[in-house]
Amino acid sequence: MSQVEKKAGLLRRTSSSKKPLKEKVVLMYDEIFKEDPAKNNPRFWDELFLMKVNLEYLETKLECLDGDELMKTKDNVNSLFHHCVQTLAEEHQIKVVNALQTLCALFRGVHQKNKSASGFDIINMLMGFDKAEHRMKDLMESLDSLLCGEGSESLKALCLKLLLCLVTVTDNISQNTILEYVMINSIFEAVLQILSDVSSRGRHGYDAVVLLALLVNYRKYEASLSASLSLSLSLSLSLSLSLSLSFSLSLSLSLSLQYKDKEEENQGGFFSTLTSMVGSMFIADAEEKLSVQTNEAILLALYEAVHLNRNFITVLAQSHPEIDIPTTPTTPVPTTPTTPLGTTPPSTDVMNSSELPLDPNLQTSNLLITFLKYSSIVMQDTKDEHRLNSARLCLIILTCIAEDQYADAFLHDDNMNFRVNLHRMPMRHRKKAAEKNVPSRPLVCAVLDLMVEFVVTHMMKDFPMDLYMRCVQVIHKLICYQKKCRIRLHYTWRELWSALINLLKFLLSNETVLLAKHNIFHLALLVVNLFNMFITYGDTFLPTSNSYDELYYEIVRMHQVFDNLYCMVLRVSTNAGQWKEPASKVTHSLVNVRAIINHFNPKIESYAAVNHISQLSEDQVLEVVRSNYDTLTLKLQDGLDQYERYSEQPKEAAFFKDLVRSISLNVRKNVSLNTLSQDILLKEFSTIS
Amino acid sequence: MGDVELEQSVAQTEEPQQHTPSTASSVSISSSPSHSLPSSPSSGPYHHHQPTSSTPSPTHSDGPAIPSPSLGVISEGVTELTLVIDPEVAKKACQEVLQKVKLLKGEGEGSGFEGGCGPDPTLANGTVHNKPTDPVSVGGGGIIKPQKIHEEEDPESLTPGSVKSARRRQRHNPSKQSWLLRLFESKLFDVSMAISYLHNSKEPGVQAYIGNRLFSFRHEEVDFYLPQLLNMYIHMDEDVGDAIKPYVVHRCRQSISFSLQCAWLLGAYSSDMHISTQRHSRGTKLRKLIFSDELKPAGLRARRPPALTPFCPLPNATPALHGHGVGGEHGLSPTKRTHQRSKSDATVSISLSSNLKRTASNPKVESSQDEDLSSSSESLECENHDCKTGTPVRLTPQRDFIKSLMGIGKRLATLPTKEQKTQRLISELSLLNHKLPARVWLPTSAFDHHVVRVPHTQAVVLNSKDKAPYLIYVEVLECEDFETSSVPVRISETRIRSTRSVENLPDCGITADQRAVSFSTVPNYDDDNEAWSVDDIGELQLPEIHTNSCDNISQFSVDSITSLDSKEPIFIAAGDIRRRLSEQLAHTPTTFRRDPEDPSAMALKEPWQEKVQRIREGSPYGHIPTWRLLSVIVKCGDDLRQELLASQVLQQLQVIWEQERVPIWIKPYKILVISSDSGMIEPIVNAVSIHQVKKQSQMPLLDYFLQEHGTHTTEAFLTAQRNFVQSCAGYCLICYLLQVKDRHNGNILLDADGHIIHIDFGFILSSSPRNLGFETSAFKLTSEFVDVMGGLDGDMFNYYKMLMLQGLIAARKHMDKVIQIVEIMQQGSQLPCFHGSSTIRSLKERFHMSLTEEQLQVLVEQMVDGSMRSITTKLYDGFQYLTNGIM
Repeated sequence: MSQVEKKAGLLRRTSSSKKPLKEKVVLMYDEIFKEDPAKNNPRFWDELFLMKVNLEYLETKLECLDGDELMKTKDNVNSLFHHCVQTLAEEHQIKVVNALQTLCALFRGVHQKNKSASGFDIINMLMGFDKAEHRMKDLMESLDSLLCGEGSESLKALCLKLLLCLVTVTDNISQNTILEYVMINSIFEAVLQILSDVSSRGRHGYDAVVLLALLVNYRKYEASLSASLSLSLSLSLSLSLSLSLSFSLSLSLSLSLQYKDKEEENQGGFFSTLTSMVGSMFIADAEEKLSVQTNEAILLALYEAVHLNRNFITVLAQSHPEIDIPTTPTTPVPTTPTTPLGTTPPSTDVMNSSELPLDPNLQTSNLLITFLKYSSIVMQDTKDEHRLNSARLCLIILTCIAEDQYADAFLHDDNMNFRVNLHRMPMRHRKKAAEKNVPSRPLVCAVLDLMVEFVVTHMMKDFPMDLYMRCVQVIHKLICYQKKCRIRLHYTWRELWSALINLLKFLLSNETVLLAKHNIFHLALLVVNLFNMFITYGDTFLPTSNSYDELYYEIVRMHQVFDNLYCMVLRVSTNAGQWKEPASKVTHSLVNVRAIINHFNPKIESYAAVNHISQLSEDQVLEVVRSNYDTLTLKLQDGLDQYERYSEQPKEAAFFKDLVRSISLNVRKNVSLNTLSQDILLKEFSTIS
Repeated sequence: MGDVELEQSVAQTEEPQQHTPSTASSVSISSSPSHSLPSSPSSGPYHHHQPTSSTPSPTHSDGPAIPSPSLGVISEGVTELTLVIDPEVAKKACQEVLQKVKLLKGEGEGSGFEGGCGPDPTLANGTVHNKPTDPVSVGGGGIIKPQKIHEEEDPESLTPGSVKSARRRQRHNPSKQSWLLRLFESKLFDVSMAISYLHNSKEPGVQAYIGNRLFSFRHEEVDFYLPQLLNMYIHMDEDVGDAIKPYVVHRCRQSISFSLQCAWLLGAYSSDMHISTQRHSRGTKLRKLIFSDELKPAGLRARRPPALTPFCPLPNATPALHGHGVGGEHGLSPTKRTHQRSKSDATVSISLSSNLKRTASNPKVESSQDEDLSSSSESLECENHDCKTGTPVRLTPQRDFIKSLMGIGKRLATLPTKEQKTQRLISELSLLNHKLPARVWLPTSAFDHHVVRVPHTQAVVLNSKDKAPYLIYVEVLECEDFETSSVPVRISETRIRSTRSVENLPDCGITADQRAVSFSTVPNYDDDNEAWSVDDIGELQLPEIHTNSCDNISQFSVDSITSLDSKEPIFIAAGDIRRRLSEQLAHTPTTFRRDPEDPSAMALKEPWQEKVQRIREGSPYGHIPTWRLLSVIVKCGDDLRQELLASQVLQQLQVIWEQERVPIWIKPYKILVISSDSGMIEPIVNAVSIHQVKKQSQMPLLDYFLQEHGTHTTEAFLTAQRNFVQSCAGYCLICYLLQVKDRHNGNILLDADGHIIHIDFGFILSSSPRNLGFETSAFKLTSEFVDVMGGLDGDMFNYYKMLMLQGLIAARKHMDKVIQIVEIMQQGSQLPCFHGSSTIRSLKERFHMSLTEEQLQVLVEQMVDGSMRSITTKLYDGFQYLTNGIM
């Protein structure tokens, strides 16, 4: 009690020092917490909602109440809530706005107060147990009609904010018991309608998508919960085109943001590739950081869509030539005959036009392409936690895609060729824009490129083992699909081989450091088995017979890596220890590679000796390889083309829990009801009413 | 005099709209020709019926009351008829005209002609008698003339019905029966003859009569001559135009597709006129009239909008709409009703559209952008929208559909490489997909349907230097009548797959926008097992292994080792793997490689059935039984009028050869002229160009035949060879008759059965490619072709020559029908194929009416020889030698 007075007094003092009078609304709030306000003034509630809401005061007021007081004022708070809900149905828009904001304050305030208490108290506090169901139903129905109605866009935005606020009041979304009612009185259709409308999608798309993504994660592991079931269902069914478009939009927006950052960076004089690499790690200014964090929510939505919904794969694949229409309606992209599609490198077109930050490929883009590009940027920097999470999420999404046969069919469709300009990290030992003109190829090539790029660029002390595992698994899954469907992809496999061999080399040279933290044998086994796939099943998916020769050439050329690996795993597996088992697996898997090396090396040496050549050319080696196949016997290994299917539970559950929590926190922080300032609303509604 | 008539015709064009409601309401539309006409192609019985019913009519009609009707009166009568546009009335009009003609003949000689307007108002026996022979005698053949007359007389002596009617007629008008009338009323009087008389007769009465007779022919028969009819309408004098117009207007009212086709053809054939005359020409006016959508059926007009809205199929409303029997609302003023009705419809659609998110949103998008910029296809979906604003809606969806296809072609042309074009095409089409299904259809197709989806990934850009023709596949649902059947409900692309997390939940498929719509047209496909695609890679693996014919150890061993559980290691030779790899690579020649410079090769090589199957499996609509796959080539920037002409000639020749039982095989393909520089072509399925065959297979044609069909003695090869010969003979004749030039291997297709098919008739008759001057040989016959036929001494080669002779004889017999097609189109045309004055004469000469069959045989021999030799030697002109009369 004293605490409240103190606080109130404090407020009074500060306000009285500046303003002689307390705000009317504050007085009215105070009244609510004393006795039944309508007793003296029957029009109290009507008047209250005509007042400008003082969010801070109301929230603090609620926060400051202690248990007893709370119980005393419970009926009044209930009544406030009740009237808020009632007011939502009114025609008077300013009242509606105020009611929405008051509701926000109520939810927040009560939760703030009851951080530790169980959710049922909150419900009791706000609505009363007996009426809760009824009240929430009314609330949801009102919100539904507001969202679907022809009303003002700012009002809709406010509704979404309220929902976001409601969803994120608890740190752990699954502890938010009020959501139970949200689930029962499905609000999703309204949200989906928002998404499916072109104009409202542009305005509210982001909030709506985040809201859906969070709701899907509400008690997602309690399968019995019918509400969650129906949500995932409705989500999966209707996350169609609309959703994908807003994804595209948000992803491409962030993409452009990052482009710009990079561009500024370059123009800022960091032309040395090394410094720019370092620069990109540290320059991360507040805005950029925000964009990365908010994109976690978008990525999560994308993940849920891909994971929960097989149908979504087709959406991924749909071309969206028009996605630039809502954003840049003024640029007549298709009519300019002089700019050929996709021939300009991305860096230049950012410089050329600030209006159209995306490369001209956009017209023939689809969500998958946007996602791949976005991933290529995200994966460049995995230093901080958020970025690492984003990269992990990207790889998980790719895993889901690679596992899906339908998506694979699309990825490998020979008829669907795209140019995908992935972002490559500038590195010392390679030229930056060596390949400006990426030929248009089936999308799987871009996925493989992305994986190769990741493998090449992340061999660092702080080894992202988890990401590497996922990356190699994605490659494996794609190759399995190709083998099974006998798709001969015209891909320069050589790049993949040398990247993988380099990875092995890295693992070997950092053995001691890495072994302290990770099971490097698991990764090594995966890598070696990829080679085994090529060696034993190459006939089913390699594009030319020469590529098989090249595989052997590559193995023989880099034989030292394999030799060293063999020595290492042999050594570890002979010692007793925790790595004995996994190391011996690698030993076994190396049998064919070693057979190849042992078979061809002497042959090549003797060839060199006979012909008196010290350094054999590639052609000569290939010649030797070709002529000596028949005397080589390989051992068939089992299970090469089998893999564990991705499942979120139990392995990834913790990751997603944390992710949702972090997104929740972030959203809560950023849901700013005040930014949507009353001025705008007032201005808008004064003309209406 | 001429002025008066002009005025009349002007008034005439305007009158229909004013009068139609009243007349149409009093006259039931239900008795449209399609209903009242017998289904048999020869409309014989019907015509016999006609006079019987008409015989009493003159007694109470005005005919006899007017003592001596002037021709002005006759034409007046015709104008009145145009207002009615009813077959019944048209029939009567025919009879009236006939009666008048008879009357004229009966009493004509004595009485004076009041108006004195017609050039030759009396249909005196002499004149009439000359008329029918006129076109024949122009043909210059003494051979055909007697035959024809013989045929004309034939039915009267053979068919009892006609005998009866003829007798009755004779009884009625015993002595003065004109030959022309007898011809017109005979059952042999077909469309071809009608068109011919329409073109050649200078007699307004005859023209008017024929104009009315058009109503009695089957629609398909007349449709064949639609280009001719419209060209005459545009370029010939008033009388012909007046005679044709009622029919055209009537058909336009009946059918959207006919309306559009007319409008397109009118535009295309008017384009050769001078711009100033063009603007005021009849053709342009009629075209505007059609596009203004004034010509909707009066009774249907009120009800049309709800049926058109794609998202409210209103299945209960369709039966009422179906057919033409909606003449029920006589008493009410139709125009007012229309207005109110459409208004109420608008409210319906508005109330619906609260649920129809897609539609509700799209107009906004559309209005915010330039039509050309993104695509005009947006408005395809705006039918609802259009209902509200009240703009014409009948033709709009289809026009927009075509317009957007053309727009894509135009935009593609600006891109430099094939690869970019293909990419762009795919994405443009996927955009188009969002607007489908809609009440749109492919005009090249033979059945009624609605387009539901364009499998955009299958589309290919065809080979062309500066233009961008492209081929698209189109998924359609066959329906009873595309105008009245409800448009299929959109099924989202994603519908084919189940959800992973939650299985077997009822009601899962209905998204918010579908909920508003009844599913009457779409069966509950949730039960349809085929609607679910195979989803596991594991499942996918099984058929792969079983169908794999080649002995594959690695595949086998994987399965065995997992099942056997034995730890016994299995060894394989690296050499085997390498060998299998190269073997398998070498063993996949039946599909063409992907070639970025020739994207169509691979797409066209895939067997049609396989493609249909593949696309069907991937389509959300594939489970619907009426699902069909069509394809069409969209040409933008190309004049297809010559193609259309050639196609007509081909069709005519095909009919002739079939009629004369000459086993020649040709494949005319459908051409849709949309304007003078755009159109659509029906692609020939299962066919690739010989150029592509040779480029991809890298072997002579004969070897390719052997590879595709089997060795020399197999039945498959022999069948293919016979097909090749029969088609080759047909096309050689056509190339000769039409002087088809520019015959390179890219313009000759080879289908899966071994037929060759010539395409691209850009250079025919008088036109030939620049620079080349003229191709000397009569047709293209390379040694490779001869090799496929089994060499110069083979039986098949003799068979080929025999077929050519038979074909030529047959074609000669029916030369008129062929010539007429070409001749009418020459009117007012600037097409290069009509360049010079001697086009028709030369064409006629190529039929060699004067030669005996023996001489023809020599001619064929000479031509074949000449074509053979022209490969090696230079110019061989034995044919000239022959035509000069020296054997």
